[in-house]
Amino acid sequence: MNFLIIILLVTSLLLTRVSRLKTAVTIILIQSFMVALACGIDGLEAGAAHMYIAAILTAVIKVGLIPYALLNIVEKLQYEREDHPILNVNSSSVTACIAIVLAYGLIDQALPGANSRDALATALAMTLIGLLIIMTRRQAIMQIVGLITMENGIYLVGLSATKGLPLIIEMGIFFDVLVAVVVLVILTHRIKLSGMSTDISRLKKLKG
Amino acid sequence: MGELLLFALFIPLVTGLLSMFQNKVITIKSVNLVGSSMTSSVLACIVFRISAQGAFLKGLLYVDSLSAVLLTVVAVLSLTSMLFSLSYMEKELVEGHITIKMLQRYYGLFNVFIFTMISVLVVENLGLMWVAVEATTLASALLVAFYFNQSALEAAWKYVMVCTVGICLALLGTILLYYAQVNVVGINVQALSWLELKTIAFKLDPTITKLAFIFILIGYGTKAGLAPMHTWLPDAHSQAPSPISGLLSGALLSCAIYAIVRNLIVVQAILNHEFLQYLLIGLALFSIGIAIPFILVQHDIKRLLAYSSVEHMGIILLGIGISTPLAIYGALLHVINHAIAKSTLFYLAGIITQEYKTKHIMRIRGLIRTMPLVGTLFIISILAITGTPPFSLFLSKFTIVWASFNDGRFWLGTGVLFLLAGIFAGMLYYCLEMVFGNPGHNISVGKVGKPALLSILFSIGLMIVTGLYVPLWLHTLLIKAASVIMGGD
Repeated sequence: MNFLIIILLVTSLLLTRVSRLKTAVTIILIQSFMVALACGIDGLEAGAAHMYIAAILTAVIKVGLIPYALLNIVEKLQYEREDHPILNVNSSSVTACIAIVLAYGLIDQALPGANSRDALATALAMTLIGLLIIMTRRQAIMQIVGLITMENGIYLVGLSATKGLPLIIEMGIFFDVLVAVVVLVILTHRIKLSGMSTDISRLKKLKG
Repeated sequence: MGELLLFALFIPLVTGLLSMFQNKVITIKSVNLVGSSMTSSVLACIVFRISAQGAFLKGLLYVDSLSAVLLTVVAVLSLTSMLFSLSYMEKELVEGHITIKMLQRYYGLFNVFIFTMISVLVVENLGLMWVAVEATTLASALLVAFYFNQSALEAAWKYVMVCTVGICLALLGTILLYYAQVNVVGINVQALSWLELKTIAFKLDPTITKLAFIFILIGYGTKAGLAPMHTWLPDAHSQAPSPISGLLSGALLSCAIYAIVRNLIVVQAILNHEFLQYLLIGLALFSIGIAIPFILVQHDIKRLLAYSSVEHMGIILLGIGISTPLAIYGALLHVINHAIAKSTLFYLAGIITQEYKTKHIMRIRGLIRTMPLVGTLFIISILAITGTPPFSLFLSKFTIVWASFNDGRFWLGTGVLFLLAGIFAGMLYYCLEMVFGNPGHNISVGKVGKPALLSILFSIGLMIVTGLYVPLWLHTLLIKAASVIMGGD
């Protein structure tokens, strides 16, 4: 379990440093795979059948369908890179490290003595790092990646705090995440089609 | 009753599916007209039965007086919005802004959107409610981006991003609440059921519950367009096709408020009442206040209406925050009134922008001369939304302010009255400019479609009738719903 947690943190930190969109999607694929694995291992320990289903769903949706959709669109965006993020890569990495420390602090404050302290802190850190990426990256794909990181983080909070949510709710959440990414990919595709750059920060017609 | 609920969920889905596969405009229109009237009648049946018989629970479906109030909103708005769409979208089609393929997509998504909003209101589970609220964002996102031009894409991107991040925080809050529940009763089948949570609420860990509620309030507050999380709202509401703007503003924002209230009912048993009141009233005042500068200096007619929605969500939250039965009664009445008034205004703005081919307030002049009927209705609706008697919004705003004085909050009541006066001035100034200004050049004006006119007159009629007299069934329903929010059954 600790091994998984370390990989999850490393993938999140790496995300603050990439500028190639394809690399970012690959990292998110690895990250989601680790989340699915964590879910499967927890299920094995608890002997809960519903967690296997959740693990399989994570694998199918977050490791299969979502990266597939993202890679598909990234192929079409060959000239797009995250070259000048709003917060540069080094500062982003430092901020991400601060987020990890903050996450540990918060967990110790809010849920003292929780038995899965490391997992919870990692989950919270991932949520914060996801938020950081959404706020400081210009490329549409990077923002989607940030959103998935955030979602992975929140899923992991649920997993480590309460062994996940009831299956029917979880299935709803998976479905929503999938549709959200599909909608965002459609929008990205349309932005590309209308001849604009997928640099979201350039979209600033609407004001006031 | 259970069957009625299933009907209410399935009819929109079937209608949406059917309209995806029709190639004739007339068939699409009739399918949707029939589907929408059926949905609204089924919803009306549900509301009447709930007001007569009380709450209904079956499996994961649950409806009580509170959901019935919101179902009334969805029933009225889905019908008026559909009627208005019939004329509005046909005109878009005739003028060549959209193709028949886009029309199919429009009606398909429209119905899915209605379906998701109804599901928010009929589930008895905080987790499933989260799923449904997120689904409303996704269904409406493609409607906001409907024209796929640069501004629409920008608005839709912002809408999905901001709302999904917000709603993810609400999920975090919901998970924390579940954690608190598990710590009390262990993992059981009643997970996140609010009826169960309400009975055990006093045993929940206060620290975790407080944290959970703050996340939930930020999350659903984003969706409800409360400042400072409202940034997506003016963009999305101004870029969506006008019938959708009406639905987003009237029905969707109300559904988000409903989600906050459902959580509030659970947590108020354990959290300090003063803390909750300060939190809600503070957020409410901020939302009302932040709308003022944007309303006073505005160049886009639909953004003007969108900022007014931020203000009205603030007023509703204010009523809930004051949390006396009278204030909550006013807030719930205001949910209904605001939904009807704001959707009417968006429909009128839709007609106006279609004829003038601009959303720019400066370029819309002399409505009373170019379109006498629309101009008159526009003035009436602006007077209604700013809370002038005899319209229903006067009644509900008055009730909320009265409740705040009654509760001994003199400064709060006075302050809100001043803020409302500022908004009244801003809205009316632009309205009079648009209606009575000099049109300058001649504008050729087409006829307003009959269904569109019908839906607008119907809404204005409702506003006047409920402004003069709240029907008994609605009165009882609102009282019961207010007692549900206060923590009763």
